Amino acid sequence: MTDALWYFARGSGVVSLVLLTVVVALGIGARSGRTAFGLPRFAVNLLHRNASLLAVVFLAGHLLGLLFDPYAQLRLFDLVVPFVGNYRPFWQGMGTLGFDLLLAIVVTSLLRHRIGVRGWRAVHWVAYLCWPVALMHGLGTGTDRGTWWLWSIATVCASTVVLATGWRLMPSFHRFPQRADRAVAEHLRPTPEAQAWSAR
Amino acid sequence: MTSVAQARPTVMQRLLADFGDGRIDTHLVRHGRVPPLDPSQVIGLLRDAGLTGRGGAGFPVWRKLGAVVGTGRPAVVIANGAEGEPASGKDQILMAYQMNLILDGLQLLARAAGARAAHFYAPAAVLSGLPPLLADRRSAGIDTLPVSLHPSPDAFVAGEESAAASAVAGRGAVPTDKLVRIASAGPGGAPTVVQNVETLAHLAMIARYGAGWFRAAGTPDEPGTFLATVTGAVPAPGVVEAGYGVPLGDLIAAAGGPSAVLGAVLIGGYHGGWVPVDPALPVSRAALAPFGASPGAGVVVALPASTCGLGETARIAGYLAGESARQCGPCVNGLPRLAATMTDLAYRRSRPGLPAEVDRLIGLVTGRGACRHPDGTARLIASAMRAFEADVSAHLAGYCLATGATR
Repeated sequence: MTDALWYFARGSGVVSLVLLTVVVALGIGARSGRTAFGLPRFAVNLLHRNASLLAVVFLAGHLLGLLFDPYAQLRLFDLVVPFVGNYRPFWQGMGTLGFDLLLAIVVTSLLRHRIGVRGWRAVHWVAYLCWPVALMHGLGTGTDRGTWWLWSIATVCASTVVLATGWRLMPSFHRFPQRADRAVAEHLRPTPEAQAWSAR
Repeated sequence: MTSVAQARPTVMQRLLADFGDGRIDTHLVRHGRVPPLDPSQVIGLLRDAGLTGRGGAGFPVWRKLGAVVGTGRPAVVIANGAEGEPASGKDQILMAYQMNLILDGLQLLARAAGARAAHFYAPAAVLSGLPPLLADRRSAGIDTLPVSLHPSPDAFVAGEESAAASAVAGRGAVPTDKLVRIASAGPGGAPTVVQNVETLAHLAMIARYGAGWFRAAGTPDEPGTFLATVTGAVPAPGVVEAGYGVPLGDLIAAAGGPSAVLGAVLIGGYHGGWVPVDPALPVSRAALAPFGASPGAGVVVALPASTCGLGETARIAGYLAGESARQCGPCVNGLPRLAATMTDLAYRRSRPGLPAEVDRLIGLVTGRGACRHPDGTARLIASAMRAFEADVSAHLAGYCLATGATR
């Protein structure tokens, strides 16, 4: 029974990493309100938000499990202060850092209508830092590191994010591709003649 | 629709009192220059005169101007001459005969709104004749602001206020939703005023002759004159000017009187409503409200008693369904369904629950579009179901009261 918390914490950590991978890919997909992965725009955004909140729930399970686990022996401040742990302080600290970054992203997202889009977006950029930090934490400190299944999961997650980021960096990834061809009646669109008139 | 009907005692000639030759010097001899007015004077004058928009919605002009002046930013001011309404010809007539009055009003409004330039949005055929006149007005020192020209597509929804603002901003003549108020819908979010060309011509007259002069016509609640386009079963269809509250019979008489026994009259245009043939019925917002109609942009269509009103309504509904900007579901899907259901009723393809289906569709489309195109279409059909109630029952039974046709 004492092992239950330990197994739960390990499992929820891995699930959280998988969910964060999905969130990053969907976040890139949701960029400037586009359709992605065959989903309509509202679905991309909704999935991105819900998957991220679910990742937070599993992460909370990961932290609480370890806090109360008699084997890990975490102190309360180990949850938020990175690199001061008793066991593999660097790799554990990566996890703490990832949690802090995620906390900042979640809090600013919940307060987005108060702090404004600029501030929110600036903080949201740290998502690109949060995800590799979480991956390294899993591979560096995990009890399951070196197992074939964790390596497989990590490889799939990494390639997903690398592919999504590659798509994002492609020159064809314009800012607002969906707004250009808004569906309206053809005869109402601006014509070259109209534009020539207006330019006179 | 190019003739202007003869004046009659009860109809009143102001904008159409004379036909200008389109030259600026004759215009100045006739009316003189517009006196210099600061923005608060213009707003006060418009409020005292009670001038409302003549494009159909009838919104008080002073409140629109006050809203953009209140922002303290330079506004975008647009003269709207895109008369998408097929049954209306008054803007075309006014632009043909009184362009100087319209341009006077546009300059006055644009200066009051602190605009850096004025915009004229109208069919290309109208705009192509404008540059020489604009050059003359500018060299005569009348136009202090440059006027840029924007051709409007020949489409029903192209004359809608937000479509005009969108077209001038270069985004196409597409109505937009009103989450962003039109007062801040211009290029770069600039405060925007769109006014019908007739409204601007009235403004040019009010600035010269005063609010009291303007209020001498019309009713105390709805002052001033308006341009009506009288068509249908009349021998001389054309544009008539009259004060609000003019008896319906006088408008029809000004177009030569009915050329057949009339069954109903469509007032306000294709987004208007059917009213009974009552020569004494005053054409004003207040008097037409019980019929779900309003003077709108001044359209009056006389329907002969021998023509089926349901058939005519079904035809108009089909036209309106085809004129959708095709951007909102209720319009793209709802209006063709509504038109097809009305057509079934008009051609007496009776089936159980047909009128209930019309009611259901009216409820489904109303208030659900970005613009009021679905609402206006639904309003016309609702008024037809009331005005031709007896014929609805007859059609369900397989015959038509108006045409006498049977199955």
